[in-house]
Amino acid sequence: MTEGNPVGTVTALGVGNLRWRLLTTYTVFGGTALAVCLLAPLVGPTPISLRQVFDGSIPFTDNVDAQIFFIARLPRALAGALVGGALAAAGVVLQALLRNPLATPFTLGVSAGASLGAMVVIIFGVPLTVLGVPAVTLASLAGALAAVVIVYSLARLRRQGLSTNVLLLAGVTLNSLFSAVIMFIQYLADFSQNFQAIRWLMGNLDVSGYEPIVWALPLLAVAVAGFAWLPRSLNLLTLGSEHAASRGVNVLRTQRLAFFSASLATGAAVSLGGPIGFIGIIVPHIVRLIVGADHRVVLPASAFLGAAFLVICDVGARTLMAPVELPVGVITAMLGGPFFLWLLIRSR
Amino acid sequence: MLRADTVSFRYDTAEVLHGISLGLSNAGLTGVLGPNGSGKTTLLRLMGGLQTPSTGRITLDDRDLSTYPRGMLARRMATVPQETYLAFDYSVLEVVLMGRYPHLATFAIESQTDLGYAADALAATGTLDLAARSFTTLSGGEKQRVVIASALAQLYTADETEPGSQVLLLDEPTASLDLAYQLEIASLIRKLNAMGIAILISTHDLTLAASVCRDLVLLRDGRVLATGPTQDVLTESMVRSLYGVDAVVTRHPTTDHVLVIPVDRADEQTQ
Amino acid sequence: MVTHTQSIGTSTTCPTVVAILVVAIGLLSAQNSGPKRIISIVPAVTQILFAIGAESRLVGIGSFDRLPDGDDRAAELVRVGGLLDPDMERIFTLRPDLVVLYQSHVDQRQQLERAGIPVLVYEHAGLVDITETIRDLGVRTGRTVQAESIAAQMDTGLAAIRAKVDGRPRPRTLLVFSREPMALRNIYASGGIGFLHDMLDTAGGENVFAEVRSENIAQVSSEAILAAAPDVIIEIRFDEYLRKSVIDDERDVWRQLSALPAVRNGRIHFVTGHRFVVPGPGVIEATEELARMLHPEVFATPQTRPAPGVG
Repeated sequence: MTEGNPVGTVTALGVGNLRWRLLTTYTVFGGTALAVCLLAPLVGPTPISLRQVFDGSIPFTDNVDAQIFFIARLPRALAGALVGGALAAAGVVLQALLRNPLATPFTLGVSAGASLGAMVVIIFGVPLTVLGVPAVTLASLAGALAAVVIVYSLARLRRQGLSTNVLLLAGVTLNSLFSAVIMFIQYLADFSQNFQAIRWLMGNLDVSGYEPIVWALPLLAVAVAGFAWLPRSLNLLTLGSEHAASRGVNVLRTQRLAFFSASLATGAAVSLGGPIGFIGIIVPHIVRLIVGADHRVVLPASAFLGAAFLVICDVGARTLMAPVELPVGVITAMLGGPFFLWLLIRSR
Repeated sequence: MLRADTVSFRYDTAEVLHGISLGLSNAGLTGVLGPNGSGKTTLLRLMGGLQTPSTGRITLDDRDLSTYPRGMLARRMATVPQETYLAFDYSVLEVVLMGRYPHLATFAIESQTDLGYAADALAATGTLDLAARSFTTLSGGEKQRVVIASALAQLYTADETEPGSQVLLLDEPTASLDLAYQLEIASLIRKLNAMGIAILISTHDLTLAASVCRDLVLLRDGRVLATGPTQDVLTESMVRSLYGVDAVVTRHPTTDHVLVIPVDRADEQTQ
Repeated sequence: MVTHTQSIGTSTTCPTVVAILVVAIGLLSAQNSGPKRIISIVPAVTQILFAIGAESRLVGIGSFDRLPDGDDRAAELVRVGGLLDPDMERIFTLRPDLVVLYQSHVDQRQQLERAGIPVLVYEHAGLVDITETIRDLGVRTGRTVQAESIAAQMDTGLAAIRAKVDGRPRPRTLLVFSREPMALRNIYASGGIGFLHDMLDTAGGENVFAEVRSENIAQVSSEAILAAAPDVIIEIRFDEYLRKSVIDDERDVWRQLSALPAVRNGRIHFVTGHRFVVPGPGVIEATEELARMLHPEVFATPQTRPAPGVG
């Protein structure tokens, strides 16, 4: 046992140097995300010339390269970054809230609610747009909101405080229930509606426009504001709510904030791009392997890596079998499956 | 300094604690002793401000706990719950540093001072050389000491504006620990108390209570059976009332603290 | 059939009558041979069976099958599920002697084969396969005359369309099979094979995704559409009828890709109806409608002649 200089020993270990780690996180992970977003619109099956893209002298309607860049590719990259970042961050927060590394943004039923909303519109054919937002998206958001309200109310039913066990059970139950309703609705639908319904569930980032991104931004901004406040409290929460409370953490407030911000981020992401799986669980795991478990580092790093990851997957989705497009959820699943296998083997 | 006045507590419809009154003096070392199910853990949670009593009040320096701001209370009192299960892989130092939570603003980062306190806490609990280890790889005794170090780090303060000695509450600190670790924890508790920290322990372990605590509160079925200095309270008839066990109460030949030697289950009639 | 003979002489009348009787009986028995309890869950096959007059041999049809309007046999026929969920129990209860299934129904085919029930496997293919299927079903059900008549009508009808558009410039066309409502996402377009592509080709259009030969219907990205720059966009809708306001709203959605020639020139068309989705006798009318959109100057007035066999 070292009696001499305890502080010196601890500092020498370098583990306490949080300032440096935060800086590196933002630089490396943030830089990667930015680079991927900037480069992604340049990559694709149709060769385009950057000079021509930015050539102002050619009228836009004649400039195919510019159209491809600004309408087809750039919005996709932005949407991918937002969805990927939101899902990864939501994954981190929910894993901390439920104290379970296997939790995903879809565990608490938000995604099932969003999917149900979208299904109802696709299958019962509500062909309208409100303020530039298609009905499918609006219904999806409404469904997500309904799920959040139901799950939260259930978890608050009995005692003071928020029971994470009840939260988990309510979420799992809601997932099953909504899936059953979705199957029933699909049974009622005709072939074409079913076709689109099933396809929606595989995720798609081809927004070909900036409106969907514009409405998603304020929702995500609110979620991020919530996320910003959480990391230290989340660290303590993962020790157990008793521990956290004893350290002075307002456990109920932290749990509520975690639940609502993660649900908002997930709801917005699923409404924008459909329920794209695996990001919310692969990315946090990888990040923790690299940077440790401190949420002050894990949360921003996961958001950045999630953004980069999804944008890259989307580039694959639209390029691998061009002009045919693969569902991006298939690509994330193809990467996610082997990843889990590897995790399982590694952890034995 | 830390007092409970006729405190009761109920979970839903079941009343778990009835009319409890007890006090912990500055630099006191009091144990709440009782069999499983007597309400010890609940009482400790109430004393630590983690839950509010249904009736009665709990005061720190004559001020009701519920009137203390959360952070201020956390800087005065730290509770070490019975079990610590980490969902993620934190290092020992990270766990101890988490104890500095009530001393930091939301977006503040730990300073050299905080690091210093953490280091001191690790040194005091003899876990300094474990600082870089992953918490999940530690043995039971090591984990317990690290968590106590975390609570210690929580209590360290240079702030003159918040005077008053600190309180450490430990819930079953030696449960599920090997004998050697039990003794380690016992000596750590004495050492911390000697540093001026008031300590309240809840335990069902007679030996720990008898050898370490200066005062005892005997708790059975949510009621106080007796309170007072250990040697006055821990009598053969009290042991029989509390545990339904016949025992011999004597003095330890070497250390001279109270020693309870169980003999047999008590007969129904003699209770 | 002769009912009364002039008296030519009993020596020639008797063998003539016998010959006529033999031929008549032969024809009758030919008509009566083949499967008599057919179950078809393939809408195209169901339609063809009705078109060639073999509907009396049907005992069960698919849940998505549409019957000609006013056909009173609709009530009697049992619905046994569709592509995604054929109801095998119900199918077995009907004691069929021929079941028409899709290629993908591997399990169901095995079940039927084990029970000794003949199976006809159907696969969506090109236009030319439609007439082949019609002729084949005609043979199986003893309705060769009617089948041949319809198949021949189709051949000539399609040839006529081809002739009309021959030599004319072929507009680059995007044929959209399905997409997300009110959004340009999950767009499925006709690839370079399949009867949709063949219809488009016959109607004098150039499929912008003709190079996709791996599947009939393929999902395409907005980038692919922008690069393809179609002159005409034709969207197929399953509904029999769409309100004008809905069509207008859905047409406006294409403004997101405002630089497409089709959008700039306002050449976005919606076609509705089963004939676009079911590769049956209705394809002639469907192809004509496509040709009218692609070459309006050649097809001055819309033909209202109904497709053969379909009400």
